[in-house]
Amino acid sequence: MLRTIIRKEIQNSVVSFRFIVVFALLLILVPVTVFILTNDYVKKVEEFSSRRQGIEDYLKAYAHFNRLGGVVQPSPPPLPATALVRGISSDINLEDFEDDPLPVMFPLLDLVFVIAILLSLAALIFSYDAVSGEKEDGTLKLMLANSLPRHQILLGKIFGGTLTLFIPFLVSMVLGLIVILVNPRVDWMGANWGALGLVLGGAAVYIFFFEALGVLISSRHHSSSASIMTSLCLWVLLVLVIPNLSPYLASLLSPAPSRIKVNREVSRLTDVERDNLGRQLRAEKMRDLVKRYPLLASPISEAEAKTKAEKDPAFREAVAARTREIQAVWDEANRIQGEKAEVLRAELDRKEAAQTRLARIVSMISPLADFTYWATDLTSTGLRNIAHFKDLSDRWDLAYREYSRSKTAALQKKDPAVDWWNTAVDVSDMPRFEYKEEALAARFKSALGPLAVLLVLSVGIFGAAYFSFIRTDPR
Amino acid sequence: MIGTIVKKEIAANLLSYKFFIIILLITLLLFTSFFVLYKDYKGRQADYELVRAKPGEPIAVLAPNPLSIFAKGLDEAMTRSFEISPIGIDVRTGQKSGNAVFAFFPAPDFVYVVKVVLSLVALLFGFDQVSRERENGVLRLMLSNSVSRATVLAGKWLGNFLSLAVPFVLVTLIGFALMNLDPGLRFGSSGTGRFLLLVAIALIYIGLFLSLGIFVSALTRRSASTLVILLLIWTLLVFVLPNLGTLVARQIIDVPSVKALSEKRTQIWTSEILLQIGEQRAVNFRGDGAIRKRHLDAINAQLNALEADYRIKFDRLVRLAKTINRLSPAAGFVYAATELAGTGIDEESRLKSEVIRHKDAVLLEMDRGVKEHPAFVYRYRTVGRVLAEGGLFDLAWLTISLILFFALGFVAFVRYDVR
Repeated sequence: MLRTIIRKEIQNSVVSFRFIVVFALLLILVPVTVFILTNDYVKKVEEFSSRRQGIEDYLKAYAHFNRLGGVVQPSPPPLPATALVRGISSDINLEDFEDDPLPVMFPLLDLVFVIAILLSLAALIFSYDAVSGEKEDGTLKLMLANSLPRHQILLGKIFGGTLTLFIPFLVSMVLGLIVILVNPRVDWMGANWGALGLVLGGAAVYIFFFEALGVLISSRHHSSSASIMTSLCLWVLLVLVIPNLSPYLASLLSPAPSRIKVNREVSRLTDVERDNLGRQLRAEKMRDLVKRYPLLASPISEAEAKTKAEKDPAFREAVAARTREIQAVWDEANRIQGEKAEVLRAELDRKEAAQTRLARIVSMISPLADFTYWATDLTSTGLRNIAHFKDLSDRWDLAYREYSRSKTAALQKKDPAVDWWNTAVDVSDMPRFEYKEEALAARFKSALGPLAVLLVLSVGIFGAAYFSFIRTDPR
Repeated sequence: MIGTIVKKEIAANLLSYKFFIIILLITLLLFTSFFVLYKDYKGRQADYELVRAKPGEPIAVLAPNPLSIFAKGLDEAMTRSFEISPIGIDVRTGQKSGNAVFAFFPAPDFVYVVKVVLSLVALLFGFDQVSRERENGVLRLMLSNSVSRATVLAGKWLGNFLSLAVPFVLVTLIGFALMNLDPGLRFGSSGTGRFLLLVAIALIYIGLFLSLGIFVSALTRRSASTLVILLLIWTLLVFVLPNLGTLVARQIIDVPSVKALSEKRTQIWTSEILLQIGEQRAVNFRGDGAIRKRHLDAINAQLNALEADYRIKFDRLVRLAKTINRLSPAAGFVYAATELAGTGIDEESRLKSEVIRHKDAVLLEMDRGVKEHPAFVYRYRTVGRVLAEGGLFDLAWLTISLILFFALGFVAFVRYDVR
């Protein structure tokens, strides 16, 4: 019986005007969006490789450890998934003077946007008159006059509605995917397809939620014109307002110290104060050194020092001792000030993390936010990936430090005049930062939270629709 | 006669469920938006008090703009602190970047609420004016009287516009008045004037969507199809066109990414510094002021050239993106509103060029050994200049679209079969 109702719903919808309009829109919009995003991705890939080349060229010409850190900063490559999902855009980049304000004004269009805004609206357009419209037409009376349990009608309506929207969407997606497949520059792996499949699964649940919501509202109203008003108002709240408000509410409820203030304090500690401390310690150390090696008392240029060191083994030893011990002094100054700064930073990180968590939880009332988190985390374009990237770059940072330390030590063994900040080094064996996407299974696991919330919301709305519908007076 | 029709429309609206729920929604949204962004502004104001430049410091930092409560725009980018040092401008961001959820969703300010929600609401007021009244038979009755169709349409437009605009303006003004109770928040006469202009633009924008609603309503026979068509046009105009337009512009104009630029910048200055160190060591260990100076100048020259090139390209991108996006009235509204509030794209780029000019002046002083630097002063463009530099165009474009849609609606309505 359920099959008959679903078939009836689908057949009813397919010939309707709204179905044709929505289908036509999807057929145009999805491939166009995918096409533009794919081109954008290809452009980004080209730029990324030329940036990498630029860094390699630089390293060949100028490589001193002192200045290297800023140049070889890890940076995430463009991911193939961005041909469909943009997620959190790194384009804005407020850290730099020349920022890019365009995405602030108009967030970029992507697949998540099409699903989250367009399909949810379409789902309500399809379902707002599911009950009230049939009541007005009188078909509800006829249908219920048969020996047909109401829950079957309800299930049939919601599933039928979901299918009539989801299948045209899949068709338009296929057109979009052809764009990706025929582009030789987009290299999609198995994991990308897996992630896409999961995102589409989430989209089905998302559409189901709005179909159920439409039916719920419809069965609470006597006229379909009132039902569409309520539907649209609720849609505005759920889709366009709650997610946007959530970070602001979270910052009110769980304030974090000002980043600008903490950064300033940190840079004072690790820069001016560090230098003062270091100079003070160095002066003490130099007095001590001069006492031990009177040869070091008079300052001479480096070239002279080098020739002198070659001739005079005692001087050579003195220089070696000076290099070693001054280095130790600066390390000590760095350590002391670094620890102080670390305390401040940790406090800031903790509070910001708490605020972000709260904002995320508040926003999860909205199915749009749940779906957005699900889709972006799965495609490595969301919050999870930011953490993952930070993890990778921290690990790389350790490796880099270890490398620079051992490399300097090795060079110093050969020539004691070598120091960390003034000697050119060959860094062809330096570990390069390689971004590796997190495994799909791990991404899936971390994205389960938002999906679970979306499922719970859908089931809740479905239950409410059920109770509403069995109490509906079909007259 | 027109007065009677306006009165009838308003009375019908006042009694309807639609009116009740929509006014409830916009009241709720506007007040929430005012409150939340007011709090946000206060927070940023407190931050500013902490980081504002002390007398003589070579730091350019702008106080948050009170009008950003209504049009947040790029205010966060504009209130970053720009610290000037011999190797360029060091940028410190504010607080907001800490919470990553901000990056997902646009700010729910007044401009957002008007752009998205009020346009939708205006369509909902307009969509049933012709087709629904035909279905009810009211239209037949009305037109059987000796009243011209032009009068009917004008009366409908005015009646519905007033029933939406009056509560909207009332709520907005109450919100604004409440904010003025805070002595720490000063809009001044210029701020109030800009705010009122902002409300006026919002009204034009709302009127435009109302006309569009009536136009489509006069094209269709059934109100259900009117609604479907309108909602899809609305998604296209408000969401798809402006957001896709920026991407399309990027396809056409090649602009390096911000990341590429910053990498290039690091490479330039570190390599120059290394060259400098090399030269200094060749002379003696202590260093030589002239060498340092020469290399710092080289860094500045190269960075300036790099950034000027980027800015030229980026300006071209912005212009093209704006032109494409203006196909959608939502984009025109956002541009006009943010520029008026002083948080728009043009204002931000003007601020940046002022900062660069300030930097050059400060660097000259640093060369002369001056330790105390004059404070950075930025004056927002006057309303007249904002209007002259594109604001008027957007305004005119919105007004023309409003009139155009109304005229089209009239043509369609005259030819409408009311049976």
